[in-house]
Amino acid sequence: MRVEGSPALEARQLVRDLGDEVKTRILHGIDLTVAAGEFVSLTGPSGSGKSTLLYLLGALDRPTSGDVFVDGIATAKLPTAERDTLRGERLGFVFQFHFLLPEFTAVENVMIPLLHRRNVRQADAHAQALAVLATLEMHEFANRRPNQLSGGQQQRVSIARAIVHRPKILFADEPTGNLDSKAGLAVMEIFEKFVRDDAMTIVMVTHEPSYAARAQREVKLLDGKIAEIVVPTHKAA
Amino acid sequence: MKAELFIAARQLWHRKMLNSISVLGVMLGVLMLIAITGIMRGMQTRFLGTILEVSPHIVVYDQTLAVPRTVVDTLLGGVSVTHVSRQASSDRQQQIARPRETLAAIRTLDGVTAVAPLVVGSAVMSVGSKELPVEMRGIDPMVQDIVTPLRGWIVRGSLTDLNAAGDGVMVGQQLADLLGVTIGDNVTCASARGVPVSMRVVVLFSSGITALDKGRVYVAARLAQTILGRGDAIDRIEIRLANPDDAPAVTARLEALFGYDGESWQTTNASMLSVFVQQNLITGLMIGAVLMVGGFGILSIQIMIVVEKRRDIALLKSVGYSSRNVLTIFLVEGIVVAIIGAILGSIGGHFLLLGMRQIKTVSGMGFNKPSTFAIYEAPIVYVLAFVFSISVGLLASFFPAWRASRVEPVDVLRGS
Ligand SMILES: Nc1ncnc2c1ncn2[C@@H]1O[C@H](COP(=O)(O)OP(=O)(O)O)[C@@H](O)[C@H]1O
Ligand SMILES: [Mg+2]
Repeated sequence: MRVEGSPALEARQLVRDLGDEVKTRILHGIDLTVAAGEFVSLTGPSGSGKSTLLYLLGALDRPTSGDVFVDGIATAKLPTAERDTLRGERLGFVFQFHFLLPEFTAVENVMIPLLHRRNVRQADAHAQALAVLATLEMHEFANRRPNQLSGGQQQRVSIARAIVHRPKILFADEPTGNLDSKAGLAVMEIFEKFVRDDAMTIVMVTHEPSYAARAQREVKLLDGKIAEIVVPTHKAA
Repeated sequence: MKAELFIAARQLWHRKMLNSISVLGVMLGVLMLIAITGIMRGMQTRFLGTILEVSPHIVVYDQTLAVPRTVVDTLLGGVSVTHVSRQASSDRQQQIARPRETLAAIRTLDGVTAVAPLVVGSAVMSVGSKELPVEMRGIDPMVQDIVTPLRGWIVRGSLTDLNAAGDGVMVGQQLADLLGVTIGDNVTCASARGVPVSMRVVVLFSSGITALDKGRVYVAARLAQTILGRGDAIDRIEIRLANPDDAPAVTARLEALFGYDGESWQTTNASMLSVFVQQNLITGLMIGAVLMVGGFGILSIQIMIVVEKRRDIALLKSVGYSSRNVLTIFLVEGIVVAIIGAILGSIGGHFLLLGMRQIKTVSGMGFNKPSTFAIYEAPIVYVLAFVFSISVGLLASFFPAWRASRVEPVDVLRGS
């Protein structure tokens, strides 16, 4: 169900108001197109609306007006169940916090996105999760609980969980925000490998200018508007 | 479904201390259900069994006949209110007309197994200077034995002796002891209206019901008519049916056909049956209350867990789990808690009943034979326990599960 020739991700005139009594306009008509296989970073000061935009792009939230197209599919008015399915099949998420379920081991956490699907056997899900952990050099920690892992290891498990179902687009909201620079750098290398080897599309929110510069484009937000889009000089060449 | 089961099972296990409290609540409810039902139903079943064994299914009276108390009334200490209206003065006594024809006609009715004529009255039994009042029953021994089995009571002698001997009398063991007589001894019986007759003790019985063992004597109907001065008449017909449940319907037919006042065993024991209904209502309410407390245990603990698990729920939804998936996870948790509680409660309940069966009860309520607790235990009780528990688990976890299913991932993500 892919509309031919459409970009991986497209935002059209995205507006988002937040607040219960007093509505504040957080996003003021964002237009953005992300091509398949592109690595885009999203930067801007705290409170500029990066997370809000990312949730909309990832069909976790619904816009006040405007629409988001994932593989050409309009998501704004899609019924909730279909959005859940769309996320479960085509999108992956990494957050600043790992959100690993504490009762489950690393490999079980990675299996979780696969398990609720029909026709997926537990053993197959387990094998697939182990394989993904292995590519992230995490398979020796597969049977550890989240609280037995370091911050960098936890984040790697959560990345494994985000990509175990081979999503088209990976959304990451400050994935290195809680990590030391070594672990942060490792995450960046993993993302670059996804783009290079798996042609994955990545949209990553970051505060770190050097990480932002590793993307193919850097979208700078300011007060809910796109201030500028930068193509790093080394990539433009 | 496998994902929901997997997650639910793991979450339950992870919070085993907390969840065991919920399990305990359900377990206690089930234990109560099984124990109370076992005792109540056991008692009721034994009582009904005794009644159906020793009393006729239907008694046909002459309308205004003064009637001595029935076995069951004696047994229960006369709680029956319906009875009072029949305590008409004995000078208005009438007897059932044309007894032979009436008996024959009743015998042909559908569902009737046996029809026994009775002559009933008060007399005094004496041996030497000892005199005791007795309730005399003139019977046709063989037929009466079918309607209200007597054979099982007999300690010495046999019904055949009572039948054959023209002057035989069947006496309670305790009465015989009081009078100092035994098989073969002579006793004299007299009443206000009839002719005193000297008789021979041919049967000794022990019913286990003190009032009968001390106060009732059985003689052949002919003899009773003489002693009580009743001429040819009988004043009561007792009927046994193939199915005791038919008694009210057959009674109505009898009344319509013959014009005599009939009384089914259900009417005779109406007050006790209504006591049973009330007992069942009260125990039902008690069990319901305990199960409800168990339900509230599940409810409050689940609400707590759902609040605590908001992040995890948000994560599940962000990776594609639907509201229904999340709802199912928490419903499954409630049901699993209920099922474990029901299993433990059933096992506990079963052993509790086993234990109670061993307890000897003191004689009471008119019984003078010591016995054990009457316990009712049937698969249906356990099935009901599971049905109730699962319903409680489902109901109690529905609200928390629904709350969980409504969690919006972005709300949680924005908050963190
Ligand atoms: N639930 C909310 N109600 C009202 N305003 C909110 C809510 N959540 C976030 N905001 C506001 O929206 C703006 C953008 O937030 P966010 O997208 O998280 O920014 P960023 O990720 O760039 O730091 C902020 O000013 C924040 O205060
Ligand atoms: Mg943010």
